[in-house]
Amino acid sequence: MDELTREFLIESQEGLDRMERCLTDLESRPGDTELLADIFRSVHTIKGTTGFLGFKRLEKLAHSGENLLGLLRDGKLTAEPHIITGLLELLDGLRSILRIVESSDSEGDGNDSELIARLDELQKPASAAKSLQTDEMAALTSSQVQNPLLLAIEQTRKQAEASAAKAAPAAASKHVASAPATNSAAESTLRVDVALLNQMMNLVGELVLTRNQVLQATASDPKMTLLSRRLDMVTADLRESVMKARMQPVSNIFSKMPRIVRDLSQQLGRKVKLEMEGQDTELDKSLLEAIKDPLTHAVRNSLDHGIEMPEKRIAAGKNPEGTLKLRAAQEGSHVLIEVSDDGAGISSQKVRDKAIERGLITAEAAAHLPERELLNLIFLPGFSTAAAVTSVSGRGVGMDVVKTNVEKIGGKVEIESRMGKGTTLRLRIPLTLAIIPALIVRSLEQSFAVPQGALSELVHVSAEQISQGAIEWIDNAALYRLRGQLLPLIFLDRMLTAGKGGRMLEARDIFIAVLDADGRRYGLIIDSLADPEEIVVKPLSAALKDIGVYSGATVLGNGDLALILDPGAIAAKAGVSLNAEEAEAQTDEAVHEDNRGTEYLLVEVAQRRAAVLLSDVLRIEQVPISRIEYIGIRAVLNLDGQLLPIEDAGEILQAVHDEMQIIIVVCRDGERQVGVAVTNVLDVAAGSELFEAGSTQVASGVILLKDRVTSIVDLGSVTALEMNQQAAEPWNMYSPALVENTQ
Amino acid sequence: MSKRTSQKQAATAQTAEVCSFYLGNGLFGLPISHIVEIVGGARPENVPLAPSFVGGLVHYRGDVLTAVSARKLMGMPPLEGKVADLLVVESGNGYFGLIVDSVREVLTVDHGCFEPNPSTVHERAKTLFTGAYKLKDKLMVMLDRERIDPLELAKAS
Repeated sequence: MDELTREFLIESQEGLDRMERCLTDLESRPGDTELLADIFRSVHTIKGTTGFLGFKRLEKLAHSGENLLGLLRDGKLTAEPHIITGLLELLDGLRSILRIVESSDSEGDGNDSELIARLDELQKPASAAKSLQTDEMAALTSSQVQNPLLLAIEQTRKQAEASAAKAAPAAASKHVASAPATNSAAESTLRVDVALLNQMMNLVGELVLTRNQVLQATASDPKMTLLSRRLDMVTADLRESVMKARMQPVSNIFSKMPRIVRDLSQQLGRKVKLEMEGQDTELDKSLLEAIKDPLTHAVRNSLDHGIEMPEKRIAAGKNPEGTLKLRAAQEGSHVLIEVSDDGAGISSQKVRDKAIERGLITAEAAAHLPERELLNLIFLPGFSTAAAVTSVSGRGVGMDVVKTNVEKIGGKVEIESRMGKGTTLRLRIPLTLAIIPALIVRSLEQSFAVPQGALSELVHVSAEQISQGAIEWIDNAALYRLRGQLLPLIFLDRMLTAGKGGRMLEARDIFIAVLDADGRRYGLIIDSLADPEEIVVKPLSAALKDIGVYSGATVLGNGDLALILDPGAIAAKAGVSLNAEEAEAQTDEAVHEDNRGTEYLLVEVAQRRAAVLLSDVLRIEQVPISRIEYIGIRAVLNLDGQLLPIEDAGEILQAVHDEMQIIIVVCRDGERQVGVAVTNVLDVAAGSELFEAGSTQVASGVILLKDRVTSIVDLGSVTALEMNQQAAEPWNMYSPALVENTQ
Repeated sequence: MSKRTSQKQAATAQTAEVCSFYLGNGLFGLPISHIVEIVGGARPENVPLAPSFVGGLVHYRGDVLTAVSARKLMGMPPLEGKVADLLVVESGNGYFGLIVDSVREVLTVDHGCFEPNPSTVHERAKTLFTGAYKLKDKLMVMLDRERIDPLELAKAS
């Protein structure tokens, strides 16, 4: 293909993309002359160039479109829905021919006469028919509003009969010369080959490594400090610039959505308003490509399963027109993309029933799942809640594909739904693929990188705990009890040496990296942890790809090489399957028979022991005392922009010095969150209920924990912030009767 | 670079430049025209579960190269107590590393001294060697650059 044709193809595709955006806009603003002029220009440019390059088929089609657009632009026709539909067909027609040109360098021998005839037909209600048109408009006011599309078709038919074909192709050519060149952006921009950008990124990655090494080597030399600091800064700036060069606004894919929403809502008989926000948020080009399909799928799902039919919405007291919102925003090193609708929401009960029916999970296992996890079942392969299979979505390949595609690029998917209110799907996408945050771990005397995206937590198991049986076995499968749930374990060293996994485990300190990958959750056993590092991903040679356990390699700051582990592939190789729930459910029952009870976080508050229900604990924060602020006498902590009331029953806050760190256990109390200041976090242990002497009444507020009676922190008694603040009596948040017994 | 050397080769068609190196007591060679760099004291990073011929990964100018261990390839025991040398070799699929005991020197050899593999050479060895140059003191066995490319080795195994 020659350079000229290639240029033409790129230019035309850009023009058609623009046209598509404008067309959907035109629907809401049919009289916008600027939009019309823009569309006209796109088609006109294609027509002009095709004539020059000798693409006769394209020229003919574009020509008939141009005629119609000319009439629209000159105000001789109004852009009614049926005309827009026609123009969209024109767009698709042009696109498909361009595709043929791209693949075969010729236009193919398809026949467009039908489409051209239709476009010509649309031109007919010209000036002669105008009076007729207005008459009809007046006559059919209310019904027209109800169903403009039907009426419009009817109109066209009548007018076609009534008026002689006074088409006005001449009008179009008159304006050819006036098509202004408004591409001022074209002069300040440049097309760059993506391969070149990739290479630049590679070289910058190399520079980053060299800088890391220079910084380490010159750390002790005062003469070099200034220079190396400068190198450091320049490298960082350069890296940012190159990354920026690869960035494209999400509007590149968002702009495809109005068309999809338009077509689908018509097809499904739904009324949908599409709102988009944050379109200039930028994302690496390759990532943008990768989320195009998942996003399209999510939008289709929202339309098909989310937003209800207009009648249903009216019955539910909602606006008959549903709203679909696309929102993009940058959050730190991630881009958040939200697809939310105000539709029916997802019933977690239905999801559960469906999952059980499909055999994706057992009824026992489902009964133990919290609400939020139930919703996540829709991400399992083979899941679809649509009662009937439709052409739009619901073929059983759906959300799992969204999830796998997003996870493939290191992203995450979350779903949130409220019955009757709507559903929100959140895609969290890393800004770039080439440089990812990772935790460096050690095993087999070697360093390995674990992508942070898959890592959910780290657990240290001491040699002593192991000798006490912290790691349990079912046949040859090692398991660890993580907050009452059994976590399948994979020994990294055994897997990498292809060693047979016997039961023997020498008592040594180990770490368990709890990983979440492709819907599989497991613990990876490693020897020790090194630092987290931003790593530059280098691809592996094809000769090593077949091993399957590594997703690449990287050079660490100290110059060493490290292999990047692929958590999904490791899980698959070790046979951690999605239906591991079954084994889990069985052992869950075993746990209950064992009467181990619920687990608690054991804390020390000013030399006393207290317990918090582990399921209420959100996280444990260590903050400098200076971050604690006071509203009146109530201590509060500003945590990620949220004000957390701090309960300080042990008066720990008063006792520490300015520079000291304090530990705050962030707990959930119903809807709100509260912080509890503690001296120390001791352990997680299962507690058993105590019975009051001489009765079968369960004592409230206390628990037998590690053979000691421990009081449970009553989160409900932590005063809310809005209330008139009063100093809480020390310890009145605990059950008063048993305070004496706790030590 | 390869262009320049190939011109040179055309000019002196009677001789070839060969990089010679030791593996144990044996002397081996690769045409210099496709050797990009000789790195002394390379420390390849072990790749668990990799095919047996892989000696590890090496960092070379921003890329991570797969290095073939010549010793493993020949079924020789690993080199004890010494730092190996690394040849960065250009192949049709990009670059790869070849870990050898030590590089000796670059020799200019006469084509007349070359003989293809004798029929008694083991079948597997035959696929790795193109033949040998008869030097004054000993034989220099020539490795087949295309065949020892890790991708080709992976395909063969």
